[in-house]
Amino acid sequence: MPKREIEGDWVMGWPDRKRPVLVAGKDSQGRVINGRAPITELEGLITPTDAYYVVNQLEVPEPIHPDDWILTIGGEVERPIELSLKDLQKLPGRTVRAVTECAGNDAGFFDYLMKGGGKPSRINQQDMQKRAAQREQNAVPSTEEISNESTTTCAMSAGEFTGVPLAEVLKKAGLKAGAVSVRMEGFDRGQPDLAVQYRSVGRSDFKLVDPGVINYEKGLPVEKALHPDTLLAWSMNGEYLLHVHGAPVRAIVPGWSGNWWVKWLQKIEVLKHMPECYYQKHYFVYGNAPDDPNKEMITAMGVRCIIVDPLDEDSPLERGSHKIRGLAWSGMGAITRVEVSLDEGKSWREAHLEEPRERWLWVRWSYLWEANEPGHYRVMARATDETGRVQPQIPWNYQRKHFDGIVPADVTIV
Amino acid sequence: MHIVVCAKQVPNPEAAFSMFRIDEEAKRMVPAPGLQLVMSPFDEQAVEAALRIREHHADARTTVLTLGPDSARNAIKHGLAMGADEGVLLCDAAFEDADSYTTAHALVAAIRKLGRCDLVLTGRQAADWDAGVVGAGVGELLGLPVITFAKDVHVEDTTVRIERVLDDGTEIMEAAMPALVTVSNELGAARTPNLRETMRAARKPVTVWKAADLGLAADEVGAAGARRVVERLFVPVKNNRCEFIAGSPEEQAAGLAQRLRAAKLI
Repeated sequence: MPKREIEGDWVMGWPDRKRPVLVAGKDSQGRVINGRAPITELEGLITPTDAYYVVNQLEVPEPIHPDDWILTIGGEVERPIELSLKDLQKLPGRTVRAVTECAGNDAGFFDYLMKGGGKPSRINQQDMQKRAAQREQNAVPSTEEISNESTTTCAMSAGEFTGVPLAEVLKKAGLKAGAVSVRMEGFDRGQPDLAVQYRSVGRSDFKLVDPGVINYEKGLPVEKALHPDTLLAWSMNGEYLLHVHGAPVRAIVPGWSGNWWVKWLQKIEVLKHMPECYYQKHYFVYGNAPDDPNKEMITAMGVRCIIVDPLDEDSPLERGSHKIRGLAWSGMGAITRVEVSLDEGKSWREAHLEEPRERWLWVRWSYLWEANEPGHYRVMARATDETGRVQPQIPWNYQRKHFDGIVPADVTIV
Repeated sequence: MHIVVCAKQVPNPEAAFSMFRIDEEAKRMVPAPGLQLVMSPFDEQAVEAALRIREHHADARTTVLTLGPDSARNAIKHGLAMGADEGVLLCDAAFEDADSYTTAHALVAAIRKLGRCDLVLTGRQAADWDAGVVGAGVGELLGLPVITFAKDVHVEDTTVRIERVLDDGTEIMEAAMPALVTVSNELGAARTPNLRETMRAARKPVTVWKAADLGLAADEVGAAGARRVVERLFVPVKNNRCEFIAGSPEEQAAGLAQRLRAAKLI
């Protein structure tokens, strides 16, 4: 089947390709509150800012003017301090290129690989506008409604972030010995959207802990907080952060899923213990069931590898030479290897990894497939990172977080 | 055959309702910053109808005609990218704040200036004011037969044959050309411009005419020549009233039925 006709548009007065756009949901004021990146339509490594995925647990707050913004640093430090954006910018800066991925991205593939059934799609995505409307109404979908919904895909992007290492800020305040965690608090405030959590589990026939109105917060273990690539960033992709992405300043926690990248920062508190933040004690946890007493907070992502071309939707393909392409990344380090299988995993062949291979950024890979025999093929790809981890790493968990399984592309050659 | 499609640029009707603001004092809409301007979807379907005719008539030439500010050039470019052959923009400070009459008057002057015209197509109404007057006005001023709400438009020799949408079905009508037809959304989705056509459209001419180019005096166009008086422009207030009906399920059902009957809803 030939590829879809390339759409045209008028861009800055000139005829050009239609730009890939965010699949977005908006609130009643027309403001984007969620969005999925058009990942299969993008080229290169960096996701354009206006196509970057958007996920918020609480309501998007009213913007604060950068000149009025103050970050408070307190707790187990020698000198509690308050920093303006200009103060922050005077500290030694750093730029990091990293993948941001929602912990629940591709969650539906857990079920697909275990039980079969309907396969989630990366191009026929969820109805984000419907979700935005449900959110405004605080509607909790029934288990039946949830099971009929498609699950989250394309909640992943990659960007270049400039800011200052959190370690520099903690150094300025004087980190006391015995610090265990760094609590980061945003000025986004509201009641957790329970529908999101029910959706992550795939059913709504159990009771969730409702903490009432809270600020978004996460308690970062001090080792990760002191990593030089953990930033307080004010810039994304070469310009100041957009409000929807956490302006004036957000946390960048490379390798760890998006829920750690606290947006709209207002307060940092060093603690001698791990805080009981709602979003790491009750949600964003690994466990076997909602009543599992041994839940663990999620941290680093597994090893990820996705095929962006061909997609199931491109099938059937004509006989001949086809380039299988995709992206691979890991929560622990750079990707060192991607392999492709055309026989349902019986044998694997080395794919070409394109430079650069950065620690936190995804890598583009490709494999030239001489498809001369007609038939149905399950094209599979798996990645290995520099720590030696081969996907899949993350087992099924009841909130279906950090999926890193091998998802085949089902393609027919005619 | 020359087909002229009258198309209007409007604020994106897909934008959230909250993006629209009314300045009651000035009696005009206040566009929100960043609100996208697009070709009115009914007009887009009029362009589509013209292009479908051209698929069966190789000699057909389509002109997209727009009255509006300089930004309306983008609506024309969209029509050209869909496949229209040329565009004409009527752009002049004198055209500002036109009503349906002065808009039709200017469009008619432009159509006459274009020369031979066999068929004029417009959307059934513009997606901003929804008045649905300009199309019929152009037909009246040109002295053409007017057929409204077309879901299908066919040209055979010198006759245009229309399937027309009614409340309870459709009817087939014919008119001798030249004629004016307003196109309804039942025509079906308009084509999406592809990159090749969009790039080709960059080389298609867009002519800009001012009132003087059409031989129109400043006092017969725009606000100066307008015949419509806007008395008041406002967003109607919606009042919601909620009543809980008490009683057993049977009593509640009976009470609900009574109230629906009283409100003449059943």
